[in-house]
Amino acid sequence: MSESIQQYIPIAMQFLVASGFVITTIVASWLLGPKVKTLHKLDTFESGLQPVGNARMQFSIKYFLVATIFVLFDVEVIFFYPWAVNFREFIQEGFEGFGKMLLFMAPVLIGFFYVIKKGALEWD
Amino acid sequence: MSKLKENFNDKKMTAVIILSCLGIVSMLADIFSYKKALWYIVLAGVAGAIVANLNEKSNAIIYDMLLTDNYAIWFSTLILALVLLWFMVSKDQYESGVYNSSDNYALILFATVGALILTSFSDLTMMFLGIEILSIPLFILAGSNKKDVSSNEASLKYFLAGAFASGILLFGITFIYGSTGTFKLDKIADWANAAGSNLPALFYTGILLVMVGLAFKVSAAPFHFWTPDVYQGSPMFVTAFMATIVKGAAFAGFFRLFYTSFTSASGSWALILSILIAATILTGNIIAVYQSSVKRMLAYSSIAQAGYILLTVLLSNQEAKYALLLYIASYGVSTITAFTVLYHVEKIKGTDTFESFTSLSQTHPLLSVVMTIAMLSLAGIPPTIGFFAKFYLFSSVLKSNTSYLWLIMVSVAGSLVSVYYYFRVIIAMYGQHEPIISSEKKQIPAFYNVLLLLLVCVIIILGMMPDVLMSIDNL
Amino acid sequence: MKDLFTNSLNGYILLSSLLFCIGVLGVLIRKNIIILFMSIELMLNAVNLLLAAFSVHHNNPDGQVFVFFIMAVAAAEITVGLAILVMIYRNTGSVSIDALKKLKW
Repeated sequence: MSESIQQYIPIAMQFLVASGFVITTIVASWLLGPKVKTLHKLDTFESGLQPVGNARMQFSIKYFLVATIFVLFDVEVIFFYPWAVNFREFIQEGFEGFGKMLLFMAPVLIGFFYVIKKGALEWD
Repeated sequence: MSKLKENFNDKKMTAVIILSCLGIVSMLADIFSYKKALWYIVLAGVAGAIVANLNEKSNAIIYDMLLTDNYAIWFSTLILALVLLWFMVSKDQYESGVYNSSDNYALILFATVGALILTSFSDLTMMFLGIEILSIPLFILAGSNKKDVSSNEASLKYFLAGAFASGILLFGITFIYGSTGTFKLDKIADWANAAGSNLPALFYTGILLVMVGLAFKVSAAPFHFWTPDVYQGSPMFVTAFMATIVKGAAFAGFFRLFYTSFTSASGSWALILSILIAATILTGNIIAVYQSSVKRMLAYSSIAQAGYILLTVLLSNQEAKYALLLYIASYGVSTITAFTVLYHVEKIKGTDTFESFTSLSQTHPLLSVVMTIAMLSLAGIPPTIGFFAKFYLFSSVLKSNTSYLWLIMVSVAGSLVSVYYYFRVIIAMYGQHEPIISSEKKQIPAFYNVLLLLLVCVIIILGMMPDVLMSIDNL
Repeated sequence: MKDLFTNSLNGYILLSSLLFCIGVLGVLIRKNIIILFMSIELMLNAVNLLLAAFSVHHNNPDGQVFVFFIMAVAAAEITVGLAILVMIYRNTGSVSIDALKKLKW
């Protein structure tokens, strides 16, 4: 029984570190940061939009562009999961697994380079 | 790393690697400003890919996913040759300034990679990926004329039809996986042979769903409704690409799957496929008669031709492979020629109706001769390659199974109807004599004249000696 | 093979088929292009569910690998679809398929 609880200690540690980091940064920024209270700062945060009023408003087409690019690059990450699961075996075989991952990453990075150079991420 | 190195030394799938790199090179042409040289780079790269493909190690198994047998090598070579041809004839469209040549060429090259995978897969995963790599760039290419609403509409319709078909295809693949427990084509065939006649309903349903999904992709009736709109709305040479290379690759994949895996279960799908073929030939040919736009007529004609090509899948034997190779070669060359002429006629006259061909023989005798020969080849009239391809196809169906006599009769009747609408173009060019407006006298560049003459030579010479393609052994 | 229709796999097949049919009906009936996209996604996710179930049933990881590929391809496909949608919205100001009548359907 006690052994099975011991197995969970690393997870508990991780929870503590993660929540500790969040709490520390929030408290620190609250203590150290300047305190200016304006109407805008006390407003509800709605991604920069007016929180009250007509919901049917036009917003920049840039949102779609950034969103679609995000979806693409975000989903590429799923190929890291099977790779990460087999990481231990790859290590034993030397650099083959690493090379394959580099081969996968190279086109993704070229795509990212293309997106930047085409100015798709410039916010006028 | 050793295994990777081994693959490079073994010359495995070099054509796929070359084309992928070429696609990236072409994508970056805008950024590093070598766009003026891009056309030459791409031509050299595709030519290099053809050479690499012919030197490919035969019967190599690549990660248990691709198999480079003779079938794969020769169909890849045919597709690459058509792509090379496409890059040559489409030069004018991409120099006009409406389209960004670097992005468009990159998309075409990536689509070609999908086409190559479709000819050589040995696993259903690879088939799915090949189809998707082939389709997704084409959704964009169909809408590449961004300001034109009909191009946008073509793009959306192609996207919806394509994504819907992928869903059905995937559902079928899942059912096949569920009943057999594998995605490997040869293991599915072994499983079906071992199961004999008591195959589970899940397997049958899977085959039928896969067939419906692929019928969508090759635009067989009654799943053809998207084809005319997409072909009409897309830019001219994108339509030419869809009608030749995409269709050829989709058929190569269709045949490879059914020939390798499902022949022993043919009792379950042969009847449905033959009904599909008859419906496709009849709808395509009959509706094509009523068209006023030549581009839309060619779209319906491509539906009808899909019906003839599907006969090879129905046959699924060694001889059918030759018939398929010959037919795709003949149809591909003739269609690219027809679209090239149509592009220049539309550029000169502003429309693509049958009327725009009126008295073309007076102003552009060469274009008229080329178009006539392309139409004769599509209609299947000697001495063109189209005649021999059709003749070989029908005779090999009759040779192997006389119970398909009714289907051959439907096909021949369809071919007779097709003569009417193909000849409408020829009659318009040579029949009427109308006063010529001087603006219509504009000649096309000499480069295209030479190219069109070359294409005509290919159509006629291959028609005289088709043994060139038949002499490939052990396809 | 004989226990294919007697164990719990049957439930997965039924559920997936149902989800798939909802997706197909959505594509065929609805007019709003965004809802069409959602219906296509529903079709693909029905396939993913069934593949995962079969994969566990056969004790064979290939099915789950296939799910990864379907996810990645579906994301690429829907990205292209949204780009086409934005292009159409710029030109016609509508996201209904009824706005597209230029070519005969």
